[in-house]
This record gives sequence, C-alpha cells and structure tokens, in this order.
Amino acid sequence: MQEKSMHTLSRLAGWLILALAFAAPAAAQDRQPAAQPAAQPAQQAAPAADPTKDLQQQRRIDQPGNNAPVWRDVRSGQPNYTSIPGREAGVLIQAQARFPGQDGMTTAGEAWRKFRNGPITFYGGWLIVLAVLAIAAFYYTKGPLKLHDKPTGRMVERFSLAERWAHWTTAISFCVLAVSGMITLFGKHVLLPVMGYTLFAWLSALAKNLHNFIAPLFIASLVVLIVIYIKDNLPEKGDMAWFGGAFAMFWSGKHVPSGRFNAGEKVYFWIGVVALCITLSVTGVIMLFPNFEQLRTTMQQANVIHAVSAVIMILFALGHIYVGTIGVEGAYGNMRDGVTDETWAREHHELWYDDVKSGKAAAKSGAAPQIQH
Amino acid sequence: MARMKFLSDAERCIECNGCVTACKNENEVPWGVNRRRVVTINDGVVGAEKSISVACMHCSDAPCMAVCPVDVFYRTDDGVVLHDKDLCIGCGYCFYACPFGAPQFPQAGAFGLRGKMDKCTFCAGGPEADKSEAEFKKYGRNRLAEGKLPACAEMCATKALLGGDGDVISDIYRERVTRRNKGFEAWGWGTAYGPGQKGAAPAAPAAGGKS
Repeated sequence: MQEKSMHTLSRLAGWLILALAFAAPAAAQDRQPAAQPAAQPAQQAAPAADPTKDLQQQRRIDQPGNNAPVWRDVRSGQPNYTSIPGREAGVLIQAQARFPGQDGMTTAGEAWRKFRNGPITFYGGWLIVLAVLAIAAFYYTKGPLKLHDKPTGRMVERFSLAERWAHWTTAISFCVLAVSGMITLFGKHVLLPVMGYTLFAWLSALAKNLHNFIAPLFIASLVVLIVIYIKDNLPEKGDMAWFGGAFAMFWSGKHVPSGRFNAGEKVYFWIGVVALCITLSVTGVIMLFPNFEQLRTTMQQANVIHAVSAVIMILFALGHIYVGTIGVEGAYGNMRDGVTDETWAREHHELWYDDVKSGKAAAKSGAAPQIQH
Repeated sequence: MARMKFLSDAERCIECNGCVTACKNENEVPWGVNRRRVVTINDGVVGAEKSISVACMHCSDAPCMAVCPVDVFYRTDDGVVLHDKDLCIGCGYCFYACPFGAPQFPQAGAFGLRGKMDKCTFCAGGPEADKSEAEFKKYGRNRLAEGKLPACAEMCATKALLGGDGDVISDIYRERVTRRNKGFEAWGWGTAYGPGQKGAAPAAPAAGGKS
C-alpha cells in the first residue's frame, strides 16, 4: 500500500515537471500568434492570409481539441504542403463537383464517374444503337435515293484531288477514332463479356494507342478540310427552303434545287465538322497531353465534353456515311473519283449544275471521264 | 474474413515520411511514383498544423474500379483493391476518379504517355502467384501472404498510421479517442468506406466494377 502510493506520488511529480517544462514555451507561443504570421517563412503561399488557417489557430484556443477547420480544409480540395513531388500531391481529397442532372455535390472524381458511367454510357450507347437501327429500317423500307433520269455519260468534276484527300484523311481517321473511342467507352459492357479479359485488354491497348496516335493526324486534316470546304458551305438564300423539302425528298425523291452543297450538308459541316470536331480536338488534346499542368478537374470536364460531343458526332457521321454510300445512288463515286454524271449533278445540285454549265463555277465539265480504277 | 483498412491519426502524425520511404523500399516502387505521401495542413502555423499520410484507401465502392475501361481492378477477400498490370492500358481514368490521388503512372514515353498504373497494394501484391518474382517485380512485396501487415503502418514510429483488420483498427482508434476525450476523426473513412458508417463495417462490396 505504502509502496503503491509512493509510486503514484513519484509519477505525479514526474508529470508535473514535464508539464512545467512544456508549459513555458507553450505559454510563450500563446501570446505570440498575432505577431507570428508575419514572421513565418514564406515557404508556402502566405498561410496567414488564409482565413481557414487562422480559424484553426483560434479554434484550438476557443475549443481545445476541435479540429473542424482542418477537416474542412481536407475536404476543400485545396493544396497543402507535402514534400512529395507531383501535381496535386498536396491535395488530400479531390474538391467537390456536380455534373448536369446530379442531385448534389460529391467528390469530383465520383461525380465524373457517375456521369460517365451513367448518362453518357447509357444514353450514348442506346442512341448510337437506335440510330443504326433507324437507318437500317429506312434503308430496307424506302430503299436508297435513286436517279430519276438515265446517266448521260458526261462527267463533271465535283471534288478536286485536294478536296478528296482532305475528305478521306479526315474520314478514315475519324472512323478509327470513333471505333477506338467506342471500344473504350462501351467495350467493357459489350465486348468484354464476349472476348474475355486477355483479348479485350489487347484490343483496348491497341484502341488506346490508335486513338492517341491517329488524333494528331485527324486534327491536322480537320484544319485543312475546314479551310478547303468553308467557302462552298457558307449559308445561301435557298438553304431554308431546302429544309422544308428535305423530308419530301427522302420520302418521294423530289429534290429541292441547291448549290454545290445543300443545306443538310452545310449543317453537317458547321455543326458536325466545325463545332463538334473542333470541340473534340481541343478536349482531346487536353487529355492526350497531361504535361501542361492541367489538373484532374480539367481532364474530367474535358472527358465529359469529349464523350458527349463524340456521341453526337458519331450520330451525325452515321447519317453522313449512309447518304454518302448506300443511301444515295452515285454519291460515293463522287468522292471516290471526284467526278459526277451530269444527270446526278442536275438532279441533286441543280443550282451548282447551272453554274458549272454557265461557267460560273470553276469545274471542268464535258470532258470524258478520266477515272483510274 | 478481415476487412483491411488504413487509418491515419492526425493527432499523432509527425510528418516524418517514414511510411513513404518504407513503402518505396519494401515494394521497389517505380521512379517518379510514391504510393504513399504525407500532406501537412496549416504547415508552419503554430498549433494548427496537422499531418496526414495518404495512399489508396481500398474503398468499398472504388471509383477507380468503376471507371476502368478494361476492368483491371479486383477486390480480394480481405477487401483490398488490387489491379492487373498486364491488362492495364494506361488511360488514366482511375487517376481522374480516385478521391485520394492514389493511382499514378510512371511516364513510359514522350509527351506524357502513360505507362501501367501503379498504386498501393496494401502490401498484397497482384494477381500473380503469391510471393513469386513476377508479382514482386510488378507490384512489390506481398506481405499479407507472409502473414504481415503493410510496411508503412508497421514502420510508423508514432503509430499514427494503422493498417489491418478494420475492426481491430477501429477498436484501437476508439480507445485513443476515449482517452483524448475528443471527436472521432478517422481520416478518409467517410469517403472510402461509405458515408454515415465511419468505423462501421462497410456495405457488401459491389461485385465486379460494373457501375
């Protein structure tokens, strides 16, 4: 008993000494805070200027043991000090974000995950499937748009060599990007169950590398394409009338006179090629080159814009490919060989045909077809 | 079965970066990658400074697993989130999605081309045979297979970083909280193991990474 109380006493004494030893500097520090911040080494961007940091300093005096300001800081997504190099290494938890249609704020990565795996994958995937089905249904019920009159055999130049090169470089690279992009977005749900992990991973790696390396080619040819085609895609007087007759044209084959490009082609050019493809290029570059100090938030947003634009552009392209191949008789040959029959030109692009005939449009006409197959 | 978890006690962490070094050494982590890092809040502000060690938290509903386009992630019976480097295509989506910034990519080429993703494995290796050389080369040491806990937590001098069975860890931490007579501040648990169940057993892990 005696021994135990002695023991307790000596322990108490030890604690007292320890407490005193610590109390002196602590008390000195407590009186300092007002002057302290200014004297801080400027290692970090002025910690004293941040109100949340002052808050914690104050909080520890008002409510000892309450670290709420620190935990708020943890969830804020603001960078703090770390000796580990790396972009955003000082961020403990990503900042909060919210994508369209989401109930509330969540961690940015989680918000992005919900948006990408949710609406983009679901609606995007079904929209593409439905578009393919709709085109197939149209093709098998109505069939392609055919020429009314017999071909004359006289050919008119429709696309120059440069125009065709620009078109096909962009077109082929777009198809590679579209397919590889769809593998990345939908493959896990569509191909993986069929192919198995090993084969699908190999295909995905190929898709990713093709996507990354074809992209610069696509961007370069896109610029050339826009420059070459912009003049003939400028809006004209008859464009609005064309829209009125477009439905009737596909239904009954009755054409509305149009210039070198009809209003539908112009919509494809301005919304598809110019707006969507430039958006795709810019957002793609943001993700492709992560070495411009862009942060995760930027890349998440870029990814969402990229995926949404890509789905819309694929829908556009499906329509464009349909009318450019099996949907319209003679259309594919125009871009393949660069020349078109006078009958086709007159029926599909009457105003342009008149211009060519009168010599207003710079197209070689009447020449025998010089086609190298 | 144990549910493996990490817990970083901000009241104890002294920012020695011993966990970072232990991890790097134990697992021979690739150049440019630190699977663990220590972040200091209010650095240099007297009395307000708190340090936290962070790595992969092995989330119950892991966003990385959900967004991976090739489904390389899997969850072990211990609740550890691992990945298969042979399947990884280096797209970086897990890095976008992770709240903690755990997935990292050693640069494999010019223009920031990403290599195979690397992250904390809870010292549990990968899909290769346990303790095999192939496993060590790709993922580092499989300490769990050796009956040991992660090197970072084992090495922690102040036992700020705890790693192991979630029940045991929360018991230890709960006792600390009781002694301190202050709030439960299990850092990262709310995000990693689901909101509203801090310290509680996580919800049944989602099968695969489908949503």
